[in-house]
Amino acid sequence: MAIEEVLSSKGRVKILRILTEIGELNISEIARRAGLNYATTNRHLGVLEEHGLVRHKRFGRIRIFRFNEANPKAELIGRLMELWKQTDKSKQSVR
Amino acid sequence: MAQRVLITGQIGTGKTVLSQLFGLQITRDAQEKGVNLQYVHINCRECKGSLFLILQQTISRFHPHFPKRGYSAEEILHVLVQVLDEQNLYLILTLDELDALIRNEGSAPLYNLTRIQEDRPNAPRRLSLICVLREIEYLDSLDPSARSTLQHNIIHLSEYSKAQLLDILGDRVNLAFRVGAVSGDVLGLIAGLASSEGGDARYGIELLWRAGKYADVSQLVEVSAECVRMAASSVYPTVSKDVISSLGLHEKLFLLGVARRFKQTGAVQMSIGDAEEAYAVVCEEYGERKLGHTQVWNYVKDLSAVGVIESRLSGVGQRGKTTMISLSRVPASDLERELIKVLSVGGN
Repeated sequence: MAIEEVLSSKGRVKILRILTEIGELNISEIARRAGLNYATTNRHLGVLEEHGLVRHKRFGRIRIFRFNEANPKAELIGRLMELWKQTDKSKQSVR
Repeated sequence: MAQRVLITGQIGTGKTVLSQLFGLQITRDAQEKGVNLQYVHINCRECKGSLFLILQQTISRFHPHFPKRGYSAEEILHVLVQVLDEQNLYLILTLDELDALIRNEGSAPLYNLTRIQEDRPNAPRRLSLICVLREIEYLDSLDPSARSTLQHNIIHLSEYSKAQLLDILGDRVNLAFRVGAVSGDVLGLIAGLASSEGGDARYGIELLWRAGKYADVSQLVEVSAECVRMAASSVYPTVSKDVISSLGLHEKLFLLGVARRFKQTGAVQMSIGDAEEAYAVVCEEYGERKLGHTQVWNYVKDLSAVGVIESRLSGVGQRGKTTMISLSRVPASDLERELIKVLSVGGN
């Protein structure tokens, strides 16, 4: 899948940003923080996992998703997010 | 090899410190030997005596954002074992103030915790338990199968003697005071007071701290015996500062209501109904919603287990059956002052 297909969705970008910031979370919590419903979050996570950007671990009924740092694409996205945040911060401090 | 140890002893005999120090040393030793071992210390009273909260807090050491709801205590116990397996980790879990857990949930939690290995006979034994309990009699309320798992390794800490208290206090004096600020006589006086309170080292240390503060305020170069006497009249062995500050917001509000009502009426005891009325007034003052009777009744049970108040069922002379509350040794006005101070700092 092309990069625009992964990053064209606001929801998916939000989920990626949350996971890069927090590290690992369960679906309900990701949904809550992203302001999405459970089903949508689940669908987005499915797409992201298909592309190896996130992975999950199962604890009984609970699935915990985390950012897949082992994937080079994921690492690049992580760096982009970090850089974006830093630039925003430095802009704010200049103001 | 998983182990289970029970540490018993009265207040201020060093049960918590002993287990924490052991945890620190064994983690260091294990690290040197290349064994992945962690020590986790949980206070059951702070977890409201719930196995679920205890295990939830334990898991959060390994997965800080693990969901806080949506599963049972049994499920989370299996999750814990799974986490330990995945990380090839051995865990020493200390359950401090175990009586809170036994009182709240009975035998089942201990039974489950100690028998978790039986489902997996050939797997490594990853979970060891240290149980900290004030009185061993609490075990009598457990059923025989849960009790038998805890009766092998018991360490009983006896009360400190005056000489031992002198040692402990001397150590603290060296750490916290200018040389010569606390004379041997004054130290002896504090050790004597702590020794008469059942060898309670925590009480002794708090006395020393307060006496130091009084000396500071009076701008004395040396802590005088008068400072110790002033400290002794303001510290009550059953109600130390950390007990008060470890209480929940509504427990504090309830206690404040009780203290005020006793101060106003000068009565020896009051019914739980009167206490609830006083609590409602305090709730209004602090802008909090009053909790229901069952919750308040639970607080009365918890507070009397800690020793802040005494409660008993009403007997002859009182119509019907109600719980009567009295304050143990603390003057109501002192309790009120202490609570207002703690509540103004940050509530809960």
